[in-house]
Amino acid sequence: MVDIANEIKQQVQERRPLTLAMILTNRWFLYGVSMLAFFLAWDMAAVARVFSSGLPRPYEVVLQLWRMMFDPLAGKSLLGHIWASTQRILIGFTIASLVAVPLGLMMALNRYVNAIVKPLFDLLKPMPPLAWISIAILWFGIGETSKVFIIIIGTFVPCLLDAYNGVRLVEPELYDVIRMLGGNRRHEIIQVCFPAAFPAIFAGLQIALSIAWSCVLAAELVSARSGLGFIIILGMNLSRPAMVVGGMVVIALVAWTMSQLVSGLERFVCPWKREIDSR
Amino acid sequence: MREERHPGQAKIECKDITKVFIQKGKQRVHVLDHISLDVKENEFVVILGPGQSGKSTLLRIIAGLETPTEGHVRIDGQEVEGPGPERGLVFQGYMLFAWKTVLGNVEMGPKLRGVPKKERREIAAHYIHLVGLDGFENHYPHQLSGGMKQRVGIARAYANNPQVMLLDEPFGQLDAQTRYFMEKETARIWETEKRTILFVTNNIDEAIYLADRIVTMEGKLPGRMHVVYRVDLPRPREHTDMAFLKLRHEITEASELTL
Repeated sequence: MVDIANEIKQQVQERRPLTLAMILTNRWFLYGVSMLAFFLAWDMAAVARVFSSGLPRPYEVVLQLWRMMFDPLAGKSLLGHIWASTQRILIGFTIASLVAVPLGLMMALNRYVNAIVKPLFDLLKPMPPLAWISIAILWFGIGETSKVFIIIIGTFVPCLLDAYNGVRLVEPELYDVIRMLGGNRRHEIIQVCFPAAFPAIFAGLQIALSIAWSCVLAAELVSARSGLGFIIILGMNLSRPAMVVGGMVVIALVAWTMSQLVSGLERFVCPWKREIDSR
Repeated sequence: MREERHPGQAKIECKDITKVFIQKGKQRVHVLDHISLDVKENEFVVILGPGQSGKSTLLRIIAGLETPTEGHVRIDGQEVEGPGPERGLVFQGYMLFAWKTVLGNVEMGPKLRGVPKKERREIAAHYIHLVGLDGFENHYPHQLSGGMKQRVGIARAYANNPQVMLLDEPFGQLDAQTRYFMEKETARIWETEKRTILFVTNNIDEAIYLADRIVTMEGKLPGRMHVVYRVDLPRPREHTDMAFLKLRHEITEASELTL
């Protein structure tokens, strides 16, 4: 133990007296300054009518959101509309990831699967998911199915690609380790391929999630009677900018929350990454 | 001190090993040329050679990760036909499982061979103790320094109780100070639990400090065995010992001719 003591890395936390310079350079203080500056600039721009009546003041947006909590729009309160969008994303995202991630892993592990799926995938990959909206409405009507379909189309690509690349980029010598320790092909896949690909899979899920929000919005803007996209388009039609901006703010909040949930899931599944991230 | 092949029962027997890699379908790279080498049971043999002398390829062939173009390798008279747990390999780049703790890495061999959990925990604890990592069982590899990582690598290879240990420039990525510590530790571990060891390095001091026998390789491809030295210095050895320095001088002189 004595001779490895010199190898142990220690992180020393120094205690220093509080000075003005420390407060001014403190991370949280700077966060606060930047947020405050943003909202002040916004409020001043709204009061000065830079965009004539198109920009509401921040407090008007909060007020509008508060009102929508209790006064239903098209039969749904604000929470109902949030749930409508979230539900579409959850269904589409779940279906896409449950199919695309295993398919991506199989493409990386089996060259026959790869040879069959890759050309189809390469053909469809460059097509923007929003290009499918019209055909989706023609096929499935303006109901839920067409919106979920768009989300599946949009999230399928990053889920599959990152799972595929995650396995392809595994250090090949790790397979040698498994073989030398007495393992077989099955052990290589379970003990090396999957865990090594987890971080890449989660990166793909994060990208897919943000694409899913774009997709659901676009679909709701085109045709919907519920959802956050519907609130935005309704606000535009009614010339109520507070409603439009309110919808945008709520989308940001909900999307952020979902992305945090996926990060939390990643920390649970990949505990070895926790300390790497927090540095 | 020069010596020819010695008779008797060999633990590792390499006979006329030649390896030719074929690159891009056409170009042939002749890496090893008729290497014959016998290693006795519990002998510590170091293969010493500069980079690109084919020494790592030789080790990978003995490990079973490469097949020789000609010749064969026998362990206890059994021909090597692929990688297997009766040989423990320690990698230059550590090659730990980043998603496993120290304990998880060390117990991987027994786990793959189906040893019950309780038993393999005991095995892992034993070898973690042997390499001096008590208290680090639940650390992940990225929390360890280079020297500690390679201790895990050594413990992981030992945990399968292999008859032969193969070490491929295990300390090549360490700084000089840590490397020196690890050489001492390697000698200590080997004296505690004797195994037949084949150790590849490009460092003369490391070779003399550890080896019963040193096999030098010529410094160009195709790799050929150059000279075999027997190291009869008492252990533990001192780098400043006169006999140590004399042997070091002798090997350096002989090597320079071929470089």
